[in-house]
Amino acid sequence: MLLEQLTGNLFQGLVLGAVYGMATMGLSLIFGVLKVVNVGHGAFIMVGAFVTLWLFGALGINPIFAVPVAFGVGIGLGFLFYYTTIQKLIKAPELATLLATFSIGILLEELVKLIFGSEFRGFNWVVGKIDMGVTVLPMSKLYACIGSVIIAILLYLWFNKTRAGSAVRSVVEDSEGARVCGVNVGRAYALSFALGIGITVASGVLLTMFIPVGINPYMGGVYTLKAFVIAVLGGLSSPYGAFFGGLAFGLIENGSYTLFALIPGVEPFALTRFLSFVMLLVILLIKPTGLLSKK
Amino acid sequence: MKNLMKAFLAIFSFSCFLLSGFSIVEAKSSDTIVIGHPACLSGKYAKAGEQAVGGIQACINWVNNVYGGVKIGGKKIPLAYKYYDCESKKEAVTSLIGRLITVDKVNVIFSAYSSGLTLRGAPVTESHQMLYMDHGGANNKIFQQGFQYIVQTIGPATGYHQGTLNMIHKIDPGAKKVALAYEDSEFAKMVMQGAEEHAKKLGFDVVFMRTYPKGVTDLTPLLSALKASKPDFILGGGHFEDGQLFNRQMADLDIDTKALSLIAAATLPAFYKALTSMAEGVMGPSHWEYGVKYSADEAGRMGIDWIGPNQDEFVALFKKAAGKDMIPDYHAAEAGAQVLAYVLGVEKADSLEPVKVRKALGDLTFMSFYGGWDIDDTGLQIGHLMVDVQWQNRERVIVWPEEAQTGKPCYPMPTFAEKAKGKVAVPK
Amino acid sequence: MRKEIVRPYPLLPVCAVYFFLFLIGKNIPGMWQLVAMLLFYCAMGQAFNIFLGMTGYVDFGYVAFMGVGTYGMALAITHLAHIEGFGMGIIVVGFALALLMSTLLSVAVGAVALRLRGAYFAIATIGVNEGFRFLIEGAKIWNGSEGLIFTAQLNQILGRESASALMTYWADIMVLAIGALAAVVTLYYMRSKIGYALTALREDEDAAKVMGINVTKYKILAFITSACFAGLVGAASWALKTPYVFPPEVFEIHYTIEAIIIVLLGGAGTLLGPVVGGLIYGISKYYLSIFMPGFQLLIFAPIIILIIILFPEGVVGMLKKRVKDPIPAKFIV
Repeated sequence: MLLEQLTGNLFQGLVLGAVYGMATMGLSLIFGVLKVVNVGHGAFIMVGAFVTLWLFGALGINPIFAVPVAFGVGIGLGFLFYYTTIQKLIKAPELATLLATFSIGILLEELVKLIFGSEFRGFNWVVGKIDMGVTVLPMSKLYACIGSVIIAILLYLWFNKTRAGSAVRSVVEDSEGARVCGVNVGRAYALSFALGIGITVASGVLLTMFIPVGINPYMGGVYTLKAFVIAVLGGLSSPYGAFFGGLAFGLIENGSYTLFALIPGVEPFALTRFLSFVMLLVILLIKPTGLLSKK
Repeated sequence: MKNLMKAFLAIFSFSCFLLSGFSIVEAKSSDTIVIGHPACLSGKYAKAGEQAVGGIQACINWVNNVYGGVKIGGKKIPLAYKYYDCESKKEAVTSLIGRLITVDKVNVIFSAYSSGLTLRGAPVTESHQMLYMDHGGANNKIFQQGFQYIVQTIGPATGYHQGTLNMIHKIDPGAKKVALAYEDSEFAKMVMQGAEEHAKKLGFDVVFMRTYPKGVTDLTPLLSALKASKPDFILGGGHFEDGQLFNRQMADLDIDTKALSLIAAATLPAFYKALTSMAEGVMGPSHWEYGVKYSADEAGRMGIDWIGPNQDEFVALFKKAAGKDMIPDYHAAEAGAQVLAYVLGVEKADSLEPVKVRKALGDLTFMSFYGGWDIDDTGLQIGHLMVDVQWQNRERVIVWPEEAQTGKPCYPMPTFAEKAKGKVAVPK
Repeated sequence: MRKEIVRPYPLLPVCAVYFFLFLIGKNIPGMWQLVAMLLFYCAMGQAFNIFLGMTGYVDFGYVAFMGVGTYGMALAITHLAHIEGFGMGIIVVGFALALLMSTLLSVAVGAVALRLRGAYFAIATIGVNEGFRFLIEGAKIWNGSEGLIFTAQLNQILGRESASALMTYWADIMVLAIGALAAVVTLYYMRSKIGYALTALREDEDAAKVMGINVTKYKILAFITSACFAGLVGAASWALKTPYVFPPEVFEIHYTIEAIIIVLLGGAGTLLGPVVGGLIYGISKYYLSIFMPGFQLLIFAPIIILIIILFPEGVVGMLKKRVKDPIPAKFIV
C-alpha cells in the first residue's frame, strides 16, 4: 500500500519535475550569461499563465498553441526590460540587479492586476486521462511534460547548432575573449535575456496546463522560490542542469511526503518544503556548481 | 556650513509639511457619523477588501437614502464612510487607524481583513477607547484577549464546518469515515479543530487529518494519501486558491467521495467558472450567500427585529457602489451587515459614545439580509448561522440548514468520471 | 598606530531626525501611529545597513532575524506570564531572549552562508528564511502555524492600562531607542578598524584577503550585529506592538525587500542614509495609500527602477559627493 503510494507519487513527481525544470531554465540561462539573478522570475511565469487563460478563455484557442504566443510575448518583454533596465545595470553590484528585477516583477504583477483584476481564475481543458494503476494521469499533464522536454531539446540545439547560440556560449566562457573575436557581447546579452524570459513565459503556459487553477497576478512568488532551489540543484548557471534539477526536485518533493507522513505529530507537507530549502543550502555549500556538473 | 544648514532646514521643513500639513484637524461635523476602515484594497487580501468596501458603501447608501439616517436624540443623522488602503500590511493598519481616529475623527473603526490584521489594530482602538467592529477576523482567540471594544460580525472559525457535519449526520447515517485536509494557517486550523471536535461528538471516525502549506501548487502527494484512507466524505480548504486546486486535483486523481466541502472557496462564482463541471456537487460553508431566505417576514415569525435592505436591494446597491455588474459575496454581506448593526447599536444607545454603543450592541439581537446577529460578552458572534451551499447544475443552492435551504442536497454527489461526461448534480 | 577618536558629530543629524519625529508624534494629534511606522522603517533600515551597507552582501533572508526576535519576546511572555510579580522583568527577559535567538541564528547562518558570495549568498539566505518558516510549521515548533497570540498575557502581566500604553506608545519608543543605538554602533564601526576592513572587503574581497585582513571575522561581526538589531526591532515592533506571531507574517520576504529599498534610497553604507530612506519610503507610502489607494505598488515599482539606474548611491551618497566644504561634510556620513 505504502509502496504503491510512493510509486504513484514519484511518477507524478517526475512529470511535474519536467515542467518545473523547464520553468527554471530561463532563470539559469539569464544567470549563466549575464550573472543576473532574476528575482522577478515568477511574475513572468504568471504572464504566461494569463496568456493561456486569455487565449483559451476568450478565444477558445488550445493551450498548446499558447506556447509559441507566450514565447513571443516573453521575447518582447525580455528585450524591452533588457534595453530599458538591465543593460544599464550589468556592471552594477548585485544589489542593483536584484532590486531591479524584483521591481520589474512587481510592475508586471500590478499591471496584470489592473487589466485582469486580482481574482483567482482557472480553466477546464478536458482531454482525457490515463489510469496507470498506481495513480491517474490527466492527458493535459502529459502534454505539459512532453512540451517541456521538447523545449529543453530545442534550447539545447539552439545553443549547440546555431551561430547565435555559439556566440552566447563564447560570452559565457570569456566575455573579453569573445569581444576580441568579434562577438557583439551586448547583443549576446540582450538575446540571452530575451530568450530566458521567453522560455519562462512559455513555461507559464505549460505550468498552467499542469495546474489550470489559481491563476492570479500574485501567483508567481511560489515559483520564484521553487526555481531558486531547482536552479541551485542544477548548478545555477546551466539551463540543462536546471532541467534535470527540476526532475530531481519533483521526485523529492512528491516522494518525501509519503516518508515524512510516517513521522507522528508533524505536518509532512510543510516538511517537504523544509527539506527542499535544506537541500538548497547543502548544495550551495558543498557543490555550488550543482549536482550534475563534473567540476 | 550655511549650505548644509539650508539643506537640513529644507529637508526638515519639507517633512514637517508632509507630516503635519495634512493633519489640520477638520472641524468635527456633528452632521455626519463617520465609519473608518483601513481597507485591504491591494496586496494579498485585495479581493475580499474590494468586496467589503462595496458592501459597506451599499449599506450606507441604504441607511442614508431609504432609512433616512441614524436617529439620535430625535434627529436623523446621515452616515459617512472614510477608508484608506492598508495594502494588506500590518504597519499600515495601525498608522491608518491612528489617522482615522485622531485626524478624521471617525466614530467607529471597521477592521481590515484577516485575523492577523484585525489583531494588529485592536491595541490602537482599545487605547483610544474606540469601538472596533470585526467583519474579517474569524479566529476565536481574538476574543480571548480581553479587548473591551471589539465586536464580531463574521462568525467564529470553529463553526465553519459544523453545519456540514450535522447535515451528513442527518441525511446519511451510514457515512462514518471523514477525512479532514486543511490549509496550514491559523484560520483554517481553527476550522479544522472545530470540525474535528464536532465530528467526534457526532460519532464520525476521522480517518485522515493533515494540513498543507500556504501557497501550495501541487496537492498530489497529500491527496494520494487521502485517497488511500477511503473516506466517505471530505472536509477541507483554507483559502480560495488552494480550494480550487484541491477540487481540481481530486478530479485529476479520480478521488470520488459522497461529499466534498471546502471552506472559503466553493461558494464563490469564480470557483465554478474555473472548474466548471468538476465543481458539480461540491459544497462549501458560507456566512452568507445570494439566495438565502432571510426576510422581514421570517424575522417577524421568529419575533426579532429586522433592519436593512432585502437581499435584492442590497445586491442592486452593491452593484451601484462597486460600479461593476458583480454579485456580492459574503465578504460584502458581512461588512454591510456590520453597518446595520452599528446603526442599531447607536440608536439603541441613543449616543455615539463607544462605551454606550458597545453595551447596546451586547444587548442587541436582530436580523438582516445577512441573517441573525447576536454577540456574547467577549464580543464573539454567536447569533449568525452559516449556510451550506452546493453547486447543482451550474447554480448555487443553499442546502443547509433546512430552514434556510433553497433546495435539497444532492447526496452522494456524482463521480468525477460522470461529471466529465456532463452529469450534473441534482437532488434525488 | 594612532588611536582613532570617534567624533560624534555625524550622529547629530540622525538624532535630530529621531527627536524631530518624536516631537511631531507627541505634539500633533493623530501623528503618533504614522511616526511609529516611520520609526520602524528607519530602525529596520539602520539595522540592515550595518550588514548590507558595509559589506555589500545582499541578505535576502534578513527578515528571519526579525522573525526569531519576535518569537523570542513572544515566548518569554507566553511562558513566564503565569509567574506572579515578574512584571516588566518579562519584557527585559523577552529582549534578552530575542537577542540570544537572533545571535544564535545569525551565527549558524553566518558560519554556513557567509562562505558564499554575491548571488549565491542571496539565494542561500532566502533558503534559510523559507526553510526556517517551514520547519516551524512542519515540526509544529512554538505552536506551529497557529502561532502565538498573547495580548491577554500582556494584560495579565502589566494590567490593562499599562499594557495598552506599552502596545501603542512605549513599544514605538523602544524602536526609536533601538534605531538610535544602531546609529551609534554604525558610527563606531565606521570609524574603527572594522569599518576600514569592511570597506576594503566591499571594494574587493580577494584583494583585502591578500592584504592580510581577516575578512571572515569582520564579515561575521557585521552580520551578527545587524541580526541582533533586527531581532530587537522584531521584538519591539512586532511582538510588543502587535501581540501575536503567525509564522507566514514574520517570515514575509517583503520586509527584506523594503529594508533593501530603504537602504538603497538613502545610500548604502552611510550613517544617515537609512534614516533618510526610511522617511522617504514611509511617508510616500503612507500618502500614496491615502490619495491613491490601490495604486501604490504600480507607482513605486518604476520609481525604484529609475532610482537604481539614475541614483545608485542614494540621497545621502549623492549629498556626500556634492558637499566639498569640510565642515558640513563632517555631518554627512
